[in-house]
Amino acid sequence: MVELEGITVVYNPGQDNQKVALEDVSLGVNNGDFLVVVGANGAGKSTLLKVLLGEVEPLQGHFKVNGKVQTDRSPSRRAKTIGRVYQDPNSGVFPNLTIRENLSVASRKGMRGLGFSGIPQKVLEHLESLDLGLEKRMETKAGELSGGQKQALAMVMAIASDPELLLLDEHTASLDPKSAKKVMDLTKRINEKLGITIMMITHNMEFAGTYGNRQIRVEEGKIFEMDSPVPEAVCGKI
Amino acid sequence: MLAVLEQGLIMGLMAMGVFVSFRILNMPDLTVDGSFALGGAICVSFLLAGVPAAIALLLGALVGGGAGIVTALIHRKLKVNVLLAGILVMTMLYSVNLRIMNGPNLPIPRVVATSSLGSFEEEEGGDLLGGLFDDMDLPSGANERAKTPSSGPAKNIFHSDSGAGNLVLLSLILGATAVGLFVFLKTDLGTVMRGFGSNPDGVQAFGVSKTVLSVIGLAIANGLVGFSGGLFSLYGGFADVSMGQGMIVVGLAIVMMGEIVFGRKKPLLGVVAPVIGGVIYQGILALVMRYGYRIGFRASDMKLLTALFIVVMIALSLFRKPKAKLTVKKEVEKLWSNSKG
Repeated sequence: MVELEGITVVYNPGQDNQKVALEDVSLGVNNGDFLVVVGANGAGKSTLLKVLLGEVEPLQGHFKVNGKVQTDRSPSRRAKTIGRVYQDPNSGVFPNLTIRENLSVASRKGMRGLGFSGIPQKVLEHLESLDLGLEKRMETKAGELSGGQKQALAMVMAIASDPELLLLDEHTASLDPKSAKKVMDLTKRINEKLGITIMMITHNMEFAGTYGNRQIRVEEGKIFEMDSPVPEAVCGKI
Repeated sequence: MLAVLEQGLIMGLMAMGVFVSFRILNMPDLTVDGSFALGGAICVSFLLAGVPAAIALLLGALVGGGAGIVTALIHRKLKVNVLLAGILVMTMLYSVNLRIMNGPNLPIPRVVATSSLGSFEEEEGGDLLGGLFDDMDLPSGANERAKTPSSGPAKNIFHSDSGAGNLVLLSLILGATAVGLFVFLKTDLGTVMRGFGSNPDGVQAFGVSKTVLSVIGLAIANGLVGFSGGLFSLYGGFADVSMGQGMIVVGLAIVMMGEIVFGRKKPLLGVVAPVIGGVIYQGILALVMRYGYRIGFRASDMKLLTALFIVVMIALSLFRKPKAKLTVKKEVEKLWSNSKG
């Protein structure tokens, strides 16, 4: 279970341009949940993910995984338990490496040695399950793939080493509708078949309703469950 | 001709280091100008202290790699732009090299130890660089100092009367280094390092520290440069505080020349490309030195030409149309398949 307790994030504290990005936010995500996070731009959704990834230090509060407080903020160490896929298809893959090399890099977490590791069978099975034929193009550079193929490959890479939590930040936003649907179907399969907890930020309300089993809304640095009433102060901004 | 090949191979080794920082890590590291001279200074200093040349060379490479580590730490830990971090270390190294050599240069005496007991004999031949660095003002005092070493210098690995011996030796060194680098880039660490070059933030998502990769990468890059600086000094018979001046530009030009021959499609071929580029560069330099005077060129104009070459290559790359290239490639493939049929 992933828990955020009393998280407050303030950008540029004490300066003229001080901004409270998250205010006393508490959130619990059960193992196996498919949590969808919606909200307007600048509401604090991405800050929430950055806190989880250790990229932003909260002023107050802490973050737990399976009851253990995560004190080490090093993004590379956090990455050992958290996978992520962002909006830009090039950010989740290594464009200059082949598909084989990309999967090889993703199959292990942590510093590498001078060995020559292969790709675990289960990762190849994930790749085949995409039904995109990528397993037949293992020597193709990731940079030569289409946006949808890159995102699908990035998803396989993100789950290659069995993360506790998979964070998705508008990962279908730059894709055409057909590719976006394929990637979303894959996201659902990852959640259902592998039981990986997913936290997905999206502006696509159709996807939010169809795929998630729980939705939260972030407004002005605060979190509301989707079935809770919208406060008057933020009503006009949604 | 032999000298051109030999010097080209040494420059190729230096460019291999530039290839690692610029093409593999995608980090424009300017430490090279300092680490080249540092490798030479360390190597010659240890050689004069009686350390065998092979070990002196390795020490030059190790200390050169240390300079790369300093640049990487300044860049990553102090959040200084890598260009500025490189300039800072390069500037520091100028003073460091003067300290190491206890002067602006350090010639290797023409007397070499013939046995471990420290007896010396005159060795024939002189500066293998053929006057390439004649503009460097080697003080007579330094020569005198070097001719009477206190502990006796170790034997140089290069000899001016060895015929093709130097070329064979350099080819073996270059070959072993290129194979070593090629294999390294195929390992798990090498693969993630190549990935780091195209997506620096991406490696973090797989639990790999960007700082550690920068440190290892720049250590390898400057280690290769320091190694070539040591070879250059042993080959030329001296180390000089200004011998690394403009090396980054030369290295980059050599990498680009190699890429003209091999292309950039397969980056692993880039390991070999600098070697070919180095020989081409040295060939052009030799031609300019031999015949350039007829059109008013001087050897000292070579750095201007080298920098202009890079500017032209960058300008040309802006006008390149990938689609057009692809069409040409397809046309060639079609013609090829037709010719077979």
